[in-house]
Amino acid sequence: MPEVKLRINRYDPALDGELTGGRRSDRWEEFAVPYEGTITVLEALFSIQEHVDGSLAFRYCCRASICGSCAMYIDGRYRLACQTNATHFNGRTITVAPMPHMPLVKDLVVDMTSFFAKYEYIKPWLMRASQNPEKEIPQSPKDRRKLDMPIDCILCGACYSSCPSVWYEDDYLGPAALLKAYRFEVDSRDEARKERLPRFDNERGVYRCHTITNCSEACPKELNPTEGIQWLKRAAVRRRILGRWK
Amino acid sequence: MWAWILFRISGLILVAYLFVHIVIISQGEVGGPDTLDRLFEMFENPFLAFLDFMLVAAVLYHGLNGVRVILMDFGVGIRNHKAVFWVVMLIAAGLLAWFAMVAAPHVFGSGG
Repeated sequence: MPEVKLRINRYDPALDGELTGGRRSDRWEEFAVPYEGTITVLEALFSIQEHVDGSLAFRYCCRASICGSCAMYIDGRYRLACQTNATHFNGRTITVAPMPHMPLVKDLVVDMTSFFAKYEYIKPWLMRASQNPEKEIPQSPKDRRKLDMPIDCILCGACYSSCPSVWYEDDYLGPAALLKAYRFEVDSRDEARKERLPRFDNERGVYRCHTITNCSEACPKELNPTEGIQWLKRAAVRRRILGRWK
Repeated sequence: MWAWILFRISGLILVAYLFVHIVIISQGEVGGPDTLDRLFEMFENPFLAFLDFMLVAAVLYHGLNGVRVILMDFGVGIRNHKAVFWVVMLIAAGLLAWFAMVAAPHVFGSGG
């Protein structure tokens, strides 16, 4: 049977001790995984967990690249393990590491606490000021198209992990939260700019983005958080200089 | 990311250069015209001429990449920022080559 070779960055706090100051584990283990037909990196991880080492920890859920649980740093790039075909690496050993610059929990599992806290902070839901109509709130196809890009975010955290502004400023909201803020601010049905804008119109928000564009490079869904953040910046500046909320 | 890192580095270089520049120019005031003339002769040294060339490269990189970043602030060229970067670098390379052609006779020839 053909095999794919994986080199996995391992970390077990009980075995390797606590890591401080953003240090990464330097323990790597190699595995050869036999397969039939084809195999994704996630399936290879399952195989290792079932047949070789049951202690291997990783996150997954949908296996269809819509849940965002299995984002990892695979072969030097941010990828979803479930949508990465392990046979597409010309037989070379595939390095699999947890997402960089995030606190390690175990093996490929990172601590997403700050990511989701910031996500929640920008109020990622539709808010209305006016009375809701009896049935649905109408939206033109043109207005709906504005949501096409930001609505595809699956909250995998790849952009957040890749952003140098996040690395050096713990309080920066980061690309994912800001992209979500954009997703609602650009939505014709949302009427909560007065509530949401003060949350990103500051140095912990949009102005901390220096258009480095690592986020759009990292995104496994090929979204462009930079585009959303720049839109939010213009909205914030329009409000400050012209006093216009919309 | 590398465009951004280089942007920061070239910015720091230009700030440092500004201080050197002020010190050199002020020698005309401090030491008199002769001192300044002697300093200017020093700049015909090929190594310093090379530094001059690198300075122009830093100015072009910083200025033109700055234009790209400003365009991004206005929402222009965000999705194809890489293409815009290379267009801007092409312009920078062209201007640098033009500068080298104009400056070369002054450095290597009798002019100055």
